[in-house]
Amino acid sequence: MESNKKYWKGLEEYNNTPDFVKNNKNEFAEPLPIEDVLNEAGLSTVTPRRDFLKALGFGLGAVTLAACQSTPLKKSIPYLVKPEEVTPGIPNFYTSSFNGQSILVKTREGRPIKIEPNPNAGQFNCGTDARAQASVLDLYDVSKLKAPATVKGGQVEETTWAKIDSFVKGELAKAQAGGKKIRIVSSTVNSPSTNAVIAQFAVKYPAAKLVQYDAVSYTGIIQANQNSFGKAVLPKYNFDKADLIVSFSADFLGTWISGEEFTAQYTANRNYKSLENKKMSRHIQFESGMSLTGTNADTRVPVKLSEEGPALIALYNAITGASLPGGTLGNNTTADKVIKLAAKELLQNKGKGLVVCGSNDVSTQILVNAINAAIGSYGTTIDLDNVSHLYAGNDAEFNGLVAEMSRGEVGAVLFLNSNPAYDAANAKAFTDALAKVPAKISFSDRADETATLCDVIAINHNYLESWGDANAYEGYYSIVQPTINPVFNSRQAEESLLTWADAPVKDYYQFVRSNWEAKVLPAAGLKWNEVLEKGVITLAAKTPAAYSFTLSLDAVATSISTSSKALAKGGDQLELQVYENVPMRDGKNANNAFLQELPDPVSKVTWDNFVALAPKTAEKFKVKEFDVVTVKGANGYSVDLPVLIQPGQAQGTASIALGYGRTKVGKAGDNVGKNAFPFISFVNGTMQYASNVTITPTGGYYELAQTQTHHSFEGRAVIKEATFKEFLKNPGAGNEKGEHKDYDLWDQYEKPGNNWVMAIDLNACTGCGSCIVACNVENNIPVVGRDEVRRRREMHWIRIDRYYSYETPAGDVTKEKEIAKLEDLDHVSVVHQPMLCQHCDHAPCETVCPVLATVHSSDGLNHMAYNRCVGTRYCANNCPYKVRRFNWFNYWNDSRFDNYLNNEFTQLVLNPDVTTRSRGVMEKCSMCIQRIQGGKLQAKMEKRPLKDGDIKMACQEACSANAIIFGDSNDPNSEVSKALRSERIYYVLEEINVKPGIGYMTKIRNTDTKVQA
Amino acid sequence: MRDISMILKSVWKSLFVFSAISVIAVSTVNAQDAKEGRTLFKAKCSSCHALDHKVVGPALEGVSDRHPEAFLLKWIPNNAAMIAAGDPAAVKLFNDNGKVAMTTFPELDEAKVKDILAYIKEGEPKAAVDPNAPKTGAQDSGTSGLSIAGIVAIVVLAIVILVILGRASKLLERLILQKQGIEIEEDVPLKVGVRKMFKNKKFVMFFILCLIICLGSFGWMGMWETGVHTGYQPVQPIKFSHELHAGINQIDCQYCHNGAFKSKNATIPSLNVCMNCHKAVQARDKYDGEISPEIKKIYASLGYDPETQKYDESKAKPMEWVRVHNLPDFAYFNHSQHVVVAEDAIRKAKGLQPNEPVCFACHGPVNTMEEIYQYSPLTMKWCINCHKETDISGQKNNAFYAKVIEAHEKIKKGEKITPALLGGLECGKCHY
Repeated sequence: MESNKKYWKGLEEYNNTPDFVKNNKNEFAEPLPIEDVLNEAGLSTVTPRRDFLKALGFGLGAVTLAACQSTPLKKSIPYLVKPEEVTPGIPNFYTSSFNGQSILVKTREGRPIKIEPNPNAGQFNCGTDARAQASVLDLYDVSKLKAPATVKGGQVEETTWAKIDSFVKGELAKAQAGGKKIRIVSSTVNSPSTNAVIAQFAVKYPAAKLVQYDAVSYTGIIQANQNSFGKAVLPKYNFDKADLIVSFSADFLGTWISGEEFTAQYTANRNYKSLENKKMSRHIQFESGMSLTGTNADTRVPVKLSEEGPALIALYNAITGASLPGGTLGNNTTADKVIKLAAKELLQNKGKGLVVCGSNDVSTQILVNAINAAIGSYGTTIDLDNVSHLYAGNDAEFNGLVAEMSRGEVGAVLFLNSNPAYDAANAKAFTDALAKVPAKISFSDRADETATLCDVIAINHNYLESWGDANAYEGYYSIVQPTINPVFNSRQAEESLLTWADAPVKDYYQFVRSNWEAKVLPAAGLKWNEVLEKGVITLAAKTPAAYSFTLSLDAVATSISTSSKALAKGGDQLELQVYENVPMRDGKNANNAFLQELPDPVSKVTWDNFVALAPKTAEKFKVKEFDVVTVKGANGYSVDLPVLIQPGQAQGTASIALGYGRTKVGKAGDNVGKNAFPFISFVNGTMQYASNVTITPTGGYYELAQTQTHHSFEGRAVIKEATFKEFLKNPGAGNEKGEHKDYDLWDQYEKPGNNWVMAIDLNACTGCGSCIVACNVENNIPVVGRDEVRRRREMHWIRIDRYYSYETPAGDVTKEKEIAKLEDLDHVSVVHQPMLCQHCDHAPCETVCPVLATVHSSDGLNHMAYNRCVGTRYCANNCPYKVRRFNWFNYWNDSRFDNYLNNEFTQLVLNPDVTTRSRGVMEKCSMCIQRIQGGKLQAKMEKRPLKDGDIKMACQEACSANAIIFGDSNDPNSEVSKALRSERIYYVLEEINVKPGIGYMTKIRNTDTKVQA
Repeated sequence: MRDISMILKSVWKSLFVFSAISVIAVSTVNAQDAKEGRTLFKAKCSSCHALDHKVVGPALEGVSDRHPEAFLLKWIPNNAAMIAAGDPAAVKLFNDNGKVAMTTFPELDEAKVKDILAYIKEGEPKAAVDPNAPKTGAQDSGTSGLSIAGIVAIVVLAIVILVILGRASKLLERLILQKQGIEIEEDVPLKVGVRKMFKNKKFVMFFILCLIICLGSFGWMGMWETGVHTGYQPVQPIKFSHELHAGINQIDCQYCHNGAFKSKNATIPSLNVCMNCHKAVQARDKYDGEISPEIKKIYASLGYDPETQKYDESKAKPMEWVRVHNLPDFAYFNHSQHVVVAEDAIRKAKGLQPNEPVCFACHGPVNTMEEIYQYSPLTMKWCINCHKETDISGQKNNAFYAKVIEAHEKIKKGEKITPALLGGLECGKCHY
């Protein structure tokens, strides 16, 4: 039976709003104004013959004159002295690390242009996230300072390093002599060499101490482990060893601790290979706002923030049979049922279960530890011996620092990779206290919110210009090496510290090297150069021990109940959750245009944050989508933000993303969205991300640049899914093919050599969007900005369509009438579908091109010859997948796009193997043809046949979930051929017989429909 | 009857004039041996001799006047033998030049020596100095601009002669008739004739048609040539001679353009490559003991001081060569694909000699280019033609192609294996 389950991308599609219906009909939002022209005296105007001839003559003359120019002289400037390892035209790859993850940096003629995952990365055996992919753009950011600077009265003035050094040394000596404290405020430092530098700095200045502070904190977990097991650590989670994952608002596939790594582990138990072994993990998610992880859960239960604590207590009680007080879930009967079921299943899966919680509350995390101990997670799915060093920030310590500063005890403060004036919970208290510090030094690369309050800005290198190292996990060391000479007159922060400490070795390269040679290399038995080549050192892991939990939970339960009750005010008070979203995270990279334009995986909003409300809540407060509301917190902080109606949001809650509302980050990121950090409160020694707010409509209207319904399939069935149970009975479940006759209007193409195709596993794709950024960087895709996105003109070659569907106990809702009857939209399930050019063998776009600009190749690709294209846009109108993009502007040379990529310096990030497209031409996914041709040439030069895996797409390489498999279907042994033989494979819209080259695998959900409602 | 004979006569005459002019035009000095001699001179003699001044050996200008040819034919290949044999003229010459032994050249046969002497006699040919010469001389496109102009001139001349002869014969005929006493009508005045001609619709039609065809074909040819820069020879910042480096000194192309065999870019050598030789080679002999001004430019660019032999990076500034071979932005070309992977096929297709580098296939006889110029049109048509016609069956030895070729049904049917057959004409293969 062919399923006719209804999928919808957004509420406008679900409700069939007039706007949606209108826009849905047309590929392009604005039709050509032909009718207007014709109506407005267009037909009745008379063009006299003489005018016509004059215009004709002028036109001819102008064109002739314009053509009469000599060919421009092109210069060709070789190196004066060419570095031995550089061959122009051939990329070099260097190992480095980004946030602790070992990566490869691709450079061309000395310019870093792309980040790839390091295949030797060991622990981080995953792709790269959107931030890592976009990070090359930060190197070429024009908003950075070009020289060290002093700040006087808010004025930033460039100066020299000598002046900076004498000033800072003087101030530090003064502070030391005056008995004042010196504080280095940094986000988590997990670099062994940086730690050694700080230690050396403290030798010279004994008053100096490091204060670690993360904008989004994990202090709760660290403290809880200290209380429960006497180890103040962030454990290592093994999602690959978990058959059942129960998560309480932990967005572990997106932003929680190490999203990409967890994605790889998580999908290893859910992708097509695992399913072929009839194995699939199960994932239950309790959360209030819809997170990326929530969209991937088999069962997702919306719970209010105030219900999270009671739910955990209930789960603990159900598992251990204890009777802690406060475990009642009130009227959330669904949550109650699912908790009981989860408890049962966790007990069945002892040692193979994992409970994680995104809360930063120590008591809550202690309770989670107790649950994990009860189900035997320690030693299997949680490893407390090979711990993570990714986050070590201490909220209380930072608050202590603010107190010290306001008491005038601090003589000098240095900010390394931190920006508390923007992202501290109580930024006002912080800035007031900061004003009392005599010497303030920032290592920021730009005059950001904190740096402008400092005395000097000792600009730091970008990580691509730096030496360094990282120690993300116990025994896992990775190296950071420079891939370009410093572009500006910057100096590495560590080198500045060494200079100010009058250290014997001031050259940081020498310092890192000798530090490794003394401490790390002997244990691994490797030489320095070998490490530079490999990028990482993994020492033998300790055997993870099992830990027993012996703490009494009474106080913990009381604390949780009190917090919950405080949150559950009801009435006009909404429970607000501030969260990190996948593109923007904590806002440190807010000036990165690639990230700003990456649609948020859940809401598909670009270039803004918003208040997410459940449809019912919006109804209650009488607000509609895009209405501007004032959100007022308990501490008096308020912001005006547009409303976004989010299906799946728990009723009575609101969510606002952090990382927006930067004011001093640069041209692209300034004043994008509003700052939500001030909604964070400091409770029980940690930062709390839940609080109470009221909302009042301002009467304003603000249209968010949301891409969710921009490329619609007009309700055609493009998603196929089945439950795991059905799959076990019949691997082709959900993929039943309707009968239809094939009519062929096209000739058969012969593809004797290679036939490049793709398989996309919908069960592996989490929708994180790192493929989009990877594609942007690889293929020189322009950033168009908020206004153009509103006009439905985003240029992304690959997009991820996010579909909602609805499940009820009675079965799938199939008819619109039935949907109308349903009361709320709390329980929606989500499918993410990456959509890119399908390289159809019978491509509808090719048939309608009047100039043969898009034609088929003998290796199964749909080529696009930009210089032939005259911009009729017929192809886009005729593409059933809506994957063709039109260049409305010359984005590379148009002052309207100056804030994004349009300047000479930023354009150094461009991939020289891919042409930038000009105004008036169509473009679309080329299947990374430059990589295909490059791979083929490599094989030709080596006189060997092409091997499977020689060529990888940019999206495929970035994908942590291995959801994208690319290869040659003419090779029966290639991975893609094997994948395409799976019974789960279907082709989107195969009934229209365009013979697409990309097969999708049905989405499988490990659900028990009895669970819900 | 007489008219016809007159016409035939005039045609004969014009043909004679035509051929006479052609002969003059074509025989631009029988310079073959002098040219050959120049190459030999540069390779063998120029390190010790110059034409107009003394280097190590004496100036050679007028050497044929100073010595009999028979002497020179013996002396040049093996002067040592002559001196040893006690030939008085040879011994005198040896003593006159400070008893510096001249290298022997046993490889130079009589013909070659004569070539060299021809070159010395003629001096530096003007054509080689003229920058236009290589532009027009060394193309494979057939008719050059100069020869077209020549033909047009000849045709015009022939027409003029025809007209004059025609008038003359008419006059003569009239005179004969007058002598015979036959009355003839007075000739119609020319003006009236022209006016009458223009009233003839058929003639006007024919005239206009001719004009349209002429202008049209001119336009058509002009359009095809638009943006084609064959012969483009910009002035470079250094007068670098490929003839000297690649031709006479036989330096392998790869020594400098080392990217060609691994990368898409052939690469212009960085200046440190120049310095491998030019740290020592300064051509002082040709500049009265001074360093060659062109070599000085290398030093200036690198901030190198030849006296102290030290580099000063602060004075270094990049060398801005003018790009000669410009492909459109949207065309992808990879050198290594052509010179490594397809070397044999290209050699065969372009008929290169084994001693010629494969680069000559597209870049032309670089070893004779005093200054580099664009040899091939670099148009898409030019690319496509080669991809259509080149037989690449030899690629079967490459395991990559072996597999691809095996899969092709058409090849089994005996079709010629060309890049086009393997998809080499598809847009995306070069345009992305």
